[in-house]
Amino acid sequence: MAQLVGAFASSHAPLIARDWDILPPEAKQKISSGFREMRSRIEELCPDLLIMLAPDHWVNFFLDNLPAFCIGLGPEHGGPPEPFLSPKFPYKKLKGHPEFSRHLADTAFESGFDPSLSYNVNLDHGFCIPLWQLGLDPLPKVIPIFVNELEQPMPSIKRCFDWGRMIRSAIVNYPEDLKVAVIGSGGLSHSIGEPTMGKIDERFDKDCIDLFSKANEAEIIEKLIKNLPNAGNGSEEIRSWIIAHAVMNGEGFELIDYAPILEVYVGCGWAEWKVA
Amino acid sequence: MTDYWLSKMMFDLQKSGDVSSWRADREPFLEQYPISEEMKQAVRDDNLAAIAPHVNAYLLRFYCGICGMGDKEFIERLREINTPERH
Repeated sequence: MAQLVGAFASSHAPLIARDWDILPPEAKQKISSGFREMRSRIEELCPDLLIMLAPDHWVNFFLDNLPAFCIGLGPEHGGPPEPFLSPKFPYKKLKGHPEFSRHLADTAFESGFDPSLSYNVNLDHGFCIPLWQLGLDPLPKVIPIFVNELEQPMPSIKRCFDWGRMIRSAIVNYPEDLKVAVIGSGGLSHSIGEPTMGKIDERFDKDCIDLFSKANEAEIIEKLIKNLPNAGNGSEEIRSWIIAHAVMNGEGFELIDYAPILEVYVGCGWAEWKVA
Repeated sequence: MTDYWLSKMMFDLQKSGDVSSWRADREPFLEQYPISEEMKQAVRDDNLAAIAPHVNAYLLRFYCGICGMGDKEFIERLREINTPERH
């Protein structure tokens, strides 16, 4: 049977790539050390497969067809189209796992979800900044799951909890031996293309970290429904963390690091959920 | 309220990356989409306050980059908008 070996989360600010060569040394050091520690923890777990959760930043989807959740089913996925990232990105193609992703889709439909499915997706900076910074070698197979975290209306926080539990169920019921890790990509607080752009809500970020450490599901939902509307539109990406949290049954959260890095406009966080 | 065709024009511009043609002359692009005359004028005038409530904030950022607006100017101009509306 497949084994869920752990879950992780990290930020994916595009300026980490776009401005990498001009970021102040202390910002680069903080970012590098967060991803380095995350890489070391992932390597220790030796996953065969990464299930990644991130929003699509208007690369695969538009307003004519905007899925709440979309599972990438293909045998391989395209890398980042953004010119600020593609030259730095070390992988030509990202291998998928069609059998597992089909199993995941079947589990979703059997569980009352109706996700979108795609055999041909390109993974933008939401997926690829963590992969670039982690530099895993070899890179495990990747199953991308797009979560609408960019355009209202979005899947509710409660729905993200349910989606995470569904992913867990798919992993533990997969009949082949496979070590599976989950990575939620996004957040923490940031604000893009709105009057608060550039501001980081450290209070929101620290509340989220506390919630993942101590709170139950109902408390997390209540707090986020209250706090998200004032934390900047990019903070909606906390859904990727919520799903990772739910995959792990809300247990084992450990903050790797947090740094509000103004130069990249994002409250940057790195975290692991350890298997008990 | 979201303006689908204005958003579509920005999305297509971002996809095509045809920055030089856009900067040279916006009219051929504007003619391709059934965008209201009021919104076309807002685009011609770079009227961010008129445009922002009708497009996704991330798309707006891409679009302003295509127009040659750096982050500093973009943020300054966003802060001049009095009635922010989230998308």
